[in-house]
Amino acid sequence: MDKEPILVLKGIRKVFDKTVALDNVSFTLHTGEIHGLLGGNGAGKTTLMNILYGLYRKESGEIILQGGKIEIQSPRDALLAGIGMVHQHFLQVSNYTVLENIVLGTDVNHRFTMKLVDETAKVKELCQRFGLDVDLNATIDTLPVGARQKVEILKALYRGVKILILDEPTTNLTPQEVDSLFDSLRKLVDDGLSIVFITHKLREVLRVCDRITVLREGRNITSLDRTHASEEIFVRAMVGEKMDIEGSIYFAREGQKFIAVPREAQVALEVESVSLYSKDGIARLKNLNFEIRQGEILGVAGVAGNGQRELAECMTGIIPPTSGKIMLNGKDVGSVTKGAMRQLGIAYIPEDRLHDGFLPKATIAQNLILGYHRQAPYSDGTFINWKKVYGQARQQISEYTIKTSGPEEVGGTLSGGNIQRVMIARAFSISSALLVAHNPTRGLDIPSMDFVYKKIFERKSQGGTTLLISEDLDELLLMCDRIAVVYRGEIFGMLDRSQFDKYMIGRLMSGIMAEG
Amino acid sequence: MTIVRKVIPYVIAIVAAFAAVGIFIAAMGFDVGRAYQTILFTSFRTPNGFIQTLLKFTPLTLLALAFTVPFTAGKFNIGGEGQMIIGAIAATAVGIMFADLPLFLLLPMVIIAGIIAGAVYGLVPAWLLYRFGINEILTTVLLNFVSFAILDLVATGPWRDPAAGHPTTVTIGSGGFLPMLISNPPLHSGFFLAVVVAAGVYIYTTRTSSGFELLATGANPRAAEVFGVNVRRMFVFSLVLAGALAGLSGAIEVAGVHRRLIEGMQSNFLVLSLIIGLIAKGNNLAVPFVAFFIAVLEIGASAMQRTMGIPVQMVFIVEALVLLFVLLSDVVRRR
Repeated sequence: MDKEPILVLKGIRKVFDKTVALDNVSFTLHTGEIHGLLGGNGAGKTTLMNILYGLYRKESGEIILQGGKIEIQSPRDALLAGIGMVHQHFLQVSNYTVLENIVLGTDVNHRFTMKLVDETAKVKELCQRFGLDVDLNATIDTLPVGARQKVEILKALYRGVKILILDEPTTNLTPQEVDSLFDSLRKLVDDGLSIVFITHKLREVLRVCDRITVLREGRNITSLDRTHASEEIFVRAMVGEKMDIEGSIYFAREGQKFIAVPREAQVALEVESVSLYSKDGIARLKNLNFEIRQGEILGVAGVAGNGQRELAECMTGIIPPTSGKIMLNGKDVGSVTKGAMRQLGIAYIPEDRLHDGFLPKATIAQNLILGYHRQAPYSDGTFINWKKVYGQARQQISEYTIKTSGPEEVGGTLSGGNIQRVMIARAFSISSALLVAHNPTRGLDIPSMDFVYKKIFERKSQGGTTLLISEDLDELLLMCDRIAVVYRGEIFGMLDRSQFDKYMIGRLMSGIMAEG
Repeated sequence: MTIVRKVIPYVIAIVAAFAAVGIFIAAMGFDVGRAYQTILFTSFRTPNGFIQTLLKFTPLTLLALAFTVPFTAGKFNIGGEGQMIIGAIAATAVGIMFADLPLFLLLPMVIIAGIIAGAVYGLVPAWLLYRFGINEILTTVLLNFVSFAILDLVATGPWRDPAAGHPTTVTIGSGGFLPMLISNPPLHSGFFLAVVVAAGVYIYTTRTSSGFELLATGANPRAAEVFGVNVRRMFVFSLVLAGALAGLSGAIEVAGVHRRLIEGMQSNFLVLSLIIGLIAKGNNLAVPFVAFFIAVLEIGASAMQRTMGIPVQMVFIVEALVLLFVLLSDVVRRR
């Protein structure tokens, strides 16, 4: 395997409006290596690769491919240059077959009859060579995420790429699918491909990458061979000098103290035989039965789209269940009409922060009191005490490091991560009987994630009850007393902390029932 | 942004609008300078001019608020004139039927009748929206035409004034007349009422929890709903409140200006109120100021037509251009 640079990015600069996303960033990719591009949210990794793939235009800098300078103005140019990208959100047509998706956009031999015999052979050969087996005739919407990702990779391979960029590929995969992916990546580089692996997960990058480049706040921090550096060096590179790593939760080692739920703790949330049918009669939640005690954090694991959103909206009283009962401290959540959240004291961090929780045209102060605008301390029921609101808002802006010029700033100017911070500040601003958090740390950088974990643990130690729905399995393993795994709207398994096993959970997430 | 910086785009828009129209006025052979002077200063030259301006200001402000309140919630009430007319009809009806009652009884009844009738007339499109999801732009506009027909019916029916050459009713009882603040030139206390109501609406939208919910509904109905706001009820409420404001305006016109129901009383208020509401960008604090400005232009327009023969439509073009330029400045600023 020769370690000659196949691709060099030099002095890349990218500015969005007034924010400098990339400041003189360089990146070198050697032939036949898996190069990890590591950094927290907002570090600039995806932006850099989007420039390489032609989705963004750089302000300045050079792209040198195999010794020659090239300009990439669009994904088409990138593909012609042999660069392919697998995005986090797959670009596939749900009701087309795998084969059709792969050949879409390329020249086929029989375009009027669409007899894809030659193409099928070609794809089959790729599948064999790289161990990416997918049923070519299956339609996309029947496939699990791991298989769909294989289709994305095949799309790139089919177009003969020499360089493959993967953007946070393990986000929606079960542990088993992650292993399978890493095997495939090894096969790809053995065959001569070069791979860029974008991620914020340090452990993964140490498993599968040959070299690792760390970006932070749009700048190069370090580029090292995996064998030359330890985990500590990479951690420090990712978060910088200011963060306290020893006391952090995110970087906690095994054996860190976890406060167990006291035995006498009362049941706070009781879910009995809850089912939810959508308007077209499809069962979204099937016969859920569980309870959460005071001081407990119950995690919900599962591949996205298995009922998590419906679960969150039922528990917060947004949608009443079709059958069954949800009792919070003895009161029926489902029967409280409009305003269950306010009346019963439920705090909610929605997954789709923009659509379900944010008012872009309103000020940050107004966003911070949404849902609490009729109660103390913000209001006496009729009038709003703006002085109080602003005072509280300033304190929250500081505590939750929301990057803004002040509470009067209009929400629409905020970045994704900062909107998330507003959601979190709001959820923790008033004491609540139940906190439902759905992917609360998505889009946050590591110090902010740590801060959220601290707040959740603080809530736990005060006896608060939390339902944590997350697609980040590591997060759940870190934070929860118990984990429930959902699959197609059912709870497939419930594990106690002492039984936590990543691979077992992965099987449950894929719908494989636990034996015995 | 400082106040000065915020105002500059509006100043530029006004100057540009005047300049554009000025070219046409000059091309028609008129004295542009004198035209500008007449348009802008007639309101301030004589006490009568100023009073007339305030008399125009009153319905314009209330109707503009009838547009901006639902606008805050994301809904478009284009039925201000219909709601005003229905309010005027109810006010007149009460004023004629109970014509013998004294001031302290009849006047409040007349005003309240106007408010309630306007509110009910706003409830119609609101309910159609709530129950059937019918677009309120459609229903409010169509209901305007219904109101014209009802107005015609009333003005040519048993209450009509046989001496008048134009469909009009007899006068309401004198107990229904709004007290005059100044008798000559005639400034009725409706002006005062309009100012108080405008202040009240402003306080409602900016300081109350309910006003906050209105804002949230317009900013992101889904998020508002998730966090406990009864969005559908807010839509209804905003339209009913708008109807009440417009109905009040109708009652004031009857009780203060005409003392009877006259066909055509709605004048060009609707279109002007929409222009005011949009120039103010839905900001209830700005509405009275913009309304005053438009009132000045309107008074100037009729003076200009009277004294110089320039058609009033020229000023209408100015007003429309001001709106256009203000909206354009938004686009330019975003770049």
